[in-house]
Amino acid sequence: MQISIGLHHQRRFSGRPSAEGSPDPGLAVRTQGLTKSYRSPWTGRVQRGVEDLDLEVRRGEIMGYLGPNGAGKTTTLKVLTGLHRASRGRAWILGEPVEKSSSRRRLGFLPEQPYFYDHLNGVEYLELAGRLSELSAEDAHQRARHWLGRVGLGDRPLLGLRKYSKGMLQRLGLAAALLHEPELLILDEPMSGLDPFGRRDVRELILEQRQRGATVLFSSHILPDVEMLCDRVAIVLEGRLNRVATVGELVEGSGQTIEIRCSGKPALEIPEKLRATLESRQHPHETVFTLNHEPRLPDVLQWLLEAGVNVRAVTPQRATLEELFLAAAEGGNEPGQDRRKVA
Amino acid sequence: MKALLIAHNTFREATRDRVLLGVVVAGLVMLGLTQILTPLALGEGPRLTVDLGLSGISMLGLLVVVMVGTSLVGKEIERRTIYNLLSRPIARPVYLIGKWIGLSGALWVMVGTLTVALWLLLCGSGLAPYGPAVLEAAFLAGLELTVVTAVAVLFSALSTPVLSALYTLGLYCAGQWSYDLRGFAHQFPAGLGTTIGVVANLVPNLPLFNVRSLAAACQLAPPAQLGLATLYAALYCACVLSLAAAAFESRDFK
Repeated sequence: MQISIGLHHQRRFSGRPSAEGSPDPGLAVRTQGLTKSYRSPWTGRVQRGVEDLDLEVRRGEIMGYLGPNGAGKTTTLKVLTGLHRASRGRAWILGEPVEKSSSRRRLGFLPEQPYFYDHLNGVEYLELAGRLSELSAEDAHQRARHWLGRVGLGDRPLLGLRKYSKGMLQRLGLAAALLHEPELLILDEPMSGLDPFGRRDVRELILEQRQRGATVLFSSHILPDVEMLCDRVAIVLEGRLNRVATVGELVEGSGQTIEIRCSGKPALEIPEKLRATLESRQHPHETVFTLNHEPRLPDVLQWLLEAGVNVRAVTPQRATLEELFLAAAEGGNEPGQDRRKVA
Repeated sequence: MKALLIAHNTFREATRDRVLLGVVVAGLVMLGLTQILTPLALGEGPRLTVDLGLSGISMLGLLVVVMVGTSLVGKEIERRTIYNLLSRPIARPVYLIGKWIGLSGALWVMVGTLTVALWLLLCGSGLAPYGPAVLEAAFLAGLELTVVTAVAVLFSALSTPVLSALYTLGLYCAGQWSYDLRGFAHQFPAGLGTTIGVVANLVPNLPLFNVRSLAAACQLAPPAQLGLATLYAALYCACVLSLAAAAFESRDFK
């Protein structure tokens, strides 16, 4: 039997609006005032997970969900996948309230550091996952073989899961999340425990999912991957949503500097009129000027060239997502602000 | 349907676990030992074989429930394998029912295997007429284990494996003495007596499933008792699993 991935995809992605659910059918995930807190049965102390979270993930986009440890990322994802019950507020997945088990029919979920049944092998586990996601026995078997190969575990399909390494378990978890071609993928730290090859494979798989029309919401601490993959990122801090923006918007808003690299160590004093916008740093073999006001670039270059300095490179500098995230996490008002200065 | 998938997985887990295999082997060894004791039984050899054989089946079944059943759900939560199931379109009650069916199935296989071994032993000793009575008693023992498994699933869904093992054993003992508890209730003042009476009715009525002494005397239990025991087991399991499902519904998995 052929695996009817294409046809299946067309059938399931008809854009059918849900009869009951969030008002906007263009949203894959929506939370409204979502709050999750935990009360210790012994001390009675209330610990906050997330608070008044209003998050929207559009259909077809890849959204990165960022935050430091303990910020509430995993809590949010667990509420969305039905593993935690919200204390207050509401959440919908593909138009259905998350309290209903049917909301998870078109969902694929990879938990952080996934664990599986030791008594099963790779094929058996994926077959079980497929059957529980309402595939027929034959379809589940075909897809189990296909996806095991797709994530690079196809050469030993009958190997017991107790013998899998951490990276292999992560790959198997991803295969289980993708097996039934879900419309929405929620991945909690999908790159965790993977070597650079594994990370590349996961990135490719995530991009493939977007190409077939799926929505991806994933949390990660590996910010270069997030920057590479995401249409938008949401930053959650201390249980509250801090910011939602495209990577471009974040980076654009961060301001831009220009770096001018010159050979040697010219004994120059920055003229009075440029001092407010130009800084210099001496390195063993070069001097680097940093200009934070682009319109003054011709003046700076003219000054350097007239002084006989050998200008080697002029490079615009953008803040990376990592810098932006760290600045936000440490309470910097300006995105892109040097976190050492914030501290 | 999904309950059966989970049941199949639980059954596979239980049967691939060395605990169940070890228990079956221990049961077979115990049946063999009854043959060594028979010459010392002063003419009560057949009674000894049947009684010890059936008691062994019940006790070993209880051991499996305590060792496997009481951590049935707790272990899944602890090891986070439950994430892989409940993040799929499965209602939590269906998950619990599946776990119960799966372990009950494994216990029925164990009871069946040891019963067949006991029957072969009896046939080999020229005691084939005991067969129907032994079969009936083993059926009731299986029903008893099914009820205790439901209790284990309830505690396992609510508590840690160690505590749920203690609670299950406690309720099993109380269940075995439920007739005595009812008798006690009449000997106390009204308030306390009523409380004891209510407790006696809430704990599982396990003596209903015990016809070992009849089987040892080569006598069949009345068909009405079989019907009543089956109905009681079904109703008791339904109530316990409903309670478990209600409590499990709001649980968070950390």
